[in-house]
Amino acid sequence: MTSPTRESLYATVMDDRGLTGRPVVLEGAGPYGGAEEVPEPLVTGGKKYTDVDQDICGHTERFPTRRWWIAFAVALFFLSFLVIGLATLFYAGMGVAGVNSPVGWGSFIINFVFWIGIGHAGTLISAVLFLFRQRWRTGINRAAEAMTLFAVACAGIFPLIHLGRIWFAYWLVPVPNDRGPLWVNFNSALAWDIFAISTYGLVSLTFWYVGLLPDLATVRDRATHPWRRRLYNALALGWNGSSRAWRHYEAAYLILAGFATPLVFSVHTIVSFDFATSVIPGWHTTIFPPYFVIGAIFSGFAMVITLMSIMRSVFNLKNYITINHMEAMAKVLMLTGMLVGFAYSTEFFMAWYSGSEWEGFVFQNRAFGPYAWAYAIMFTCNAVVPQLFWSKRLRRNPVVLFVVAILVNVGMWFERYVIVVTSLHRDYLPSSWGMYSLTLWDWSILLGSFGLFFTLFLLFVRFLPVIAISEVKGVMDPRVARTVPSEVTR
Amino acid sequence: MKRTSTRGVLGSFFEPGEALAAVEKVRDSEWTHFDLLTPFPLHGIEEAMGQTRSWVPRVTAVLALLGIGLGFGFQAFVMAVDWPLTFGGKPLFPWPSFMPVTFEAMVFFAAIGSAVVAIVAGKRDTVPQPPPLEVPTGATVDRFVLWISATDPRFDAARVTAFVRALGAADVRLVDGKGGRDA
Repeated sequence: MTSPTRESLYATVMDDRGLTGRPVVLEGAGPYGGAEEVPEPLVTGGKKYTDVDQDICGHTERFPTRRWWIAFAVALFFLSFLVIGLATLFYAGMGVAGVNSPVGWGSFIINFVFWIGIGHAGTLISAVLFLFRQRWRTGINRAAEAMTLFAVACAGIFPLIHLGRIWFAYWLVPVPNDRGPLWVNFNSALAWDIFAISTYGLVSLTFWYVGLLPDLATVRDRATHPWRRRLYNALALGWNGSSRAWRHYEAAYLILAGFATPLVFSVHTIVSFDFATSVIPGWHTTIFPPYFVIGAIFSGFAMVITLMSIMRSVFNLKNYITINHMEAMAKVLMLTGMLVGFAYSTEFFMAWYSGSEWEGFVFQNRAFGPYAWAYAIMFTCNAVVPQLFWSKRLRRNPVVLFVVAILVNVGMWFERYVIVVTSLHRDYLPSSWGMYSLTLWDWSILLGSFGLFFTLFLLFVRFLPVIAISEVKGVMDPRVARTVPSEVTR
Repeated sequence: MKRTSTRGVLGSFFEPGEALAAVEKVRDSEWTHFDLLTPFPLHGIEEAMGQTRSWVPRVTAVLALLGIGLGFGFQAFVMAVDWPLTFGGKPLFPWPSFMPVTFEAMVFFAAIGSAVVAIVAGKRDTVPQPPPLEVPTGATVDRFVLWISATDPRFDAARVTAFVRALGAADVRLVDGKGGRDA
């Protein structure tokens, strides 16, 4: 028996069953005849460069499958909830929503923070993991960035409808006007938020689109219909793979990653300032910026795991999004879950240690008051359930991953619910205490935002390459993936 | 040189290492209007092609400073000059409050500006390319395609073709405006 080489190893790992999640020791493969430890392949199935195109672009070229249509119909059904909910809200006014005194920030703010948080994992995967040279990101970054965009689109709706009179939404932007001009107040965290979210949305879009250019060119070159070729050529801005273009492209991509990284931290920091700069006990804390940023990454990774679990099985992409990718995400989920749990505990410690009566009351009320059920859901889903991932077997079990990710999504929605509602419903004056619950229209708009998210995501997987083809090719072993020239006419 | 409709010469490689070795030989040859079309960026291609690092980061620095200036300047103008108002007893020129928006403006200008500049630079700071719609090269799929443009001052179809063949390229062909024919 000949001793295995990296090449033969990479050519023979066919699917998840061939992966262990640990480096492989190849006896006799080292440079001086000793053992060499090599990482497991990022792409399984012994794929060639041409297979990558076929596997990833193929979905954009065929009539969608029955499963896609069913998913799309369900997403559209939920999207209709959003349309009806918004129409009712605009027609009847804010009275149809659950917010009232004393809980003046309700489901709209909760949903806003929830969706923005979801978006952050996409940027983390595309930018931070890029800077850290984590090559496994190539399998998931495209879809994660798309998720970011759609999550930001969902998030953007909520502050606007929270205004109550959406037709004045443009007052949020400092445009010249005939009222003075009366500008926005740049001392306000809410004004900062407008700039943070819009910059985040636009930079994410740019990052995603720049990453797409080479792949759009791949789709163009596979296309047969002249109109399709022209359309994708225009979208790819005439990309042809020139190394002289790659040179500037790569510099810009690194710069985008370098700016997107602090941007993602700044965005959720500013979102947390919306709360932290107020004087409400439970909001007015210095821990909020890191707590929100970690929570955002945590919830976003849960959403990425949810989407990737579906995508890899529905589109048969298990060779590109392997169980090793899923395990890596599970590790991030467990780490950030513990950080979130740590933040929950720190809040309690500070409530006691500060000696502030108000702070102490708010936290007792949070955990043991009328909203104890919400706190319990939050704590269990976010801090306890991810502890399952100490076990490698569970980290590599797709069903467990999917269930945990869903629970984390639920838990993180409730985290924002707990922060927003429990801090407001019992503040300084017991005479003004009250309770809050979501009305039918709150639920309709919340579910509808999921409809919007999944509609956009399904359209994305229908029309664009869901995996960064050029980046995946870059991490494949050329000795395995190359086309053999003898098969080509000279 | 005869006046022809020739655009240049293409030759394909199937392995990044071979392509890099070949492009180094082209760099050291008499021709300068050459390029390597690849499905993904190759490590070490800039040295192999005799290029320096991209100049885009310098533009980024300028754009970042522009964003900082515009972001900070606009807020200062609004809050301290155009309509000064006291909010919550804060100073009329509360510069620490301007930091978040200044930061976002810097990121906005630097990130989006760099992307635009890099895409434009990829079209301008280059040699004439085979038009992607008319000339299928396979460089977005599995090929690493050497391209020597006919705009090169010392271009001679027969010699260039022979040179590219000698480098070991497969599928060597002359390309004309309509999409090329075999040499």
